[in-house]
Amino acid sequence: MYDAIYIEGKGKPTVTFVFEHFANDAMSAASSKGMPVVRIVPEAIVSECTVVETIEAAITAVFDNMVAALTRPLTADEKSPRRREPENPPRIVFKGNLEEVNRFFYQRGWTDGLPIIPPTEEALAEMLTGTDLPANHLVEKLEPRLGKATVERIAINAVMAGCLPTYMPLLIAGVQALAANPVCGMMAASTGSFSPFWLVNGPIAKDINVRSTYGATNPGDIANATIGRAMGLITKNVRGIRKQIEDMGVLGNPGKYSWVTAENEEDSPWEPFHVDRGFKKEDSTISLMFPQSFQQMMPFGTDDRGILATVVGSIVPARMGSFALLLTPTNAGSLSSRGWTKKAVKDYIVKNTIVPDDYFKRLGLKTDKPFDRGNVTGPGVGPTIFHPSPRDPDPVQVFVFGGFGSWMGFIQGGGPPITKKVELPAKWAQLVKKYKSIVPNYVRY
Amino acid sequence: MSPSKTGAVYEVLSPWAEADPMPLKGLSPRLDKLDGKKIGLLCNNKRASPLILNVTEKLLKQKFPTATISWFNSRSFSVSSLEKDREGEFNDWIKGVDAVVAAVGD
Repeated sequence: MYDAIYIEGKGKPTVTFVFEHFANDAMSAASSKGMPVVRIVPEAIVSECTVVETIEAAITAVFDNMVAALTRPLTADEKSPRRREPENPPRIVFKGNLEEVNRFFYQRGWTDGLPIIPPTEEALAEMLTGTDLPANHLVEKLEPRLGKATVERIAINAVMAGCLPTYMPLLIAGVQALAANPVCGMMAASTGSFSPFWLVNGPIAKDINVRSTYGATNPGDIANATIGRAMGLITKNVRGIRKQIEDMGVLGNPGKYSWVTAENEEDSPWEPFHVDRGFKKEDSTISLMFPQSFQQMMPFGTDDRGILATVVGSIVPARMGSFALLLTPTNAGSLSSRGWTKKAVKDYIVKNTIVPDDYFKRLGLKTDKPFDRGNVTGPGVGPTIFHPSPRDPDPVQVFVFGGFGSWMGFIQGGGPPITKKVELPAKWAQLVKKYKSIVPNYVRY
Repeated sequence: MSPSKTGAVYEVLSPWAEADPMPLKGLSPRLDKLDGKKIGLLCNNKRASPLILNVTEKLLKQKFPTATISWFNSRSFSVSSLEKDREGEFNDWIKGVDAVVAAVGD
């Protein structure tokens, strides 16, 4: 829709074909760019469809609507849209007991479906102790709605998610990561159900107990569970990306509840990821990727040969987007002990991940060009699956986390990672002391 | 479960971010007809887009044989947002057409 608005701004009438289920999404995008009256023609072609006869029938059915959209005289509102005030609810938005608050928030579309902690003034005040920034400090405006991610608004959503105040520095850096690349907005709204994956590096991980070992991305740890959840609520309530209104993910993705881990720096044989990205080891960072899929594999063997064979043999040509290899400390140790650096592993994957001979022929696929913008494989494209480009010169990442074991994994999809440094408040040590002991204490049975 | 009437009462804050009012823009005047006009077809990089616009081109040529067609193929989801290096090329193309039909593949 952004191009249609741009062209209208240049004085040329424009109409856009939009899948009929995406009309809300299209109009939200248009409103966010200041042209809520842009003309669209809803049609019956699902996203990414390649069935020519379906497309022919669908466009033929609405062709006259397209012509009318270019020739029907403008209404008064289309010539000069009436000013529409964005919804800015009062600061105190509701009063009620726990159940009533939860029902109100859920019905307003402000939650992820799970119960929330009521964001009271008292809870907000405690959350704000996690940062030295003033409550009204504007961290970013987040597209598409251009909602103001002030420190206070971040903190309110953090309270709802169940965060501790010590998570505020990470959340603020996370918001900066979301704003660092315009593609993040598209990822959050895409039919591809891309989910934010947050990787924490540096001393903050231990300070606030972000799990990096066994079951790192499982439920059960307050930091891993609520940091991603808070970022999801911020995506909804600040960005304004809501399910089936702006977020048109088709299959959906459970990672959108919360997908957070710290790198297991202590047990990794290599430099941490943030050091690869140019930060100091003592810096704390948060990195963001938007994978759409997560795959786990038992390697063919647990030595370097077995691990690397499993990687290059399991990456399918129909994949797309960025890629990260997820290694346990055990896997990484096996590779390192045989002399593999992280860079050598990445280079090996880029060079040796290839489409098998006759692969496409056996599948009956004859196209001589890439199948898709994010999936640059196909007959005639060459054997390799990864294609470093100016946009993504480093298409393979390696993250080390999890417990000691042989399982390994991939995440893939979305743009290259974004890493932001976390700025800590002056009284960080006192805050850590106050909250660090909040951990589960499992009773043996 | 219906909300109970007991328990602590909470005054809660809005999580919904404030946004500034945005100056709104109207649409460009429409054409009186398509006959004899140069129609631009804007194709983004989603794979349904060229297929949609192929059909559109065919129907335009059938129904408006005096209209001419000009394509612009985006390398991304959005030329204006993501392809700043092509701004001049894109603007020149827009200047050269009378109206645009866009397909975004969604």
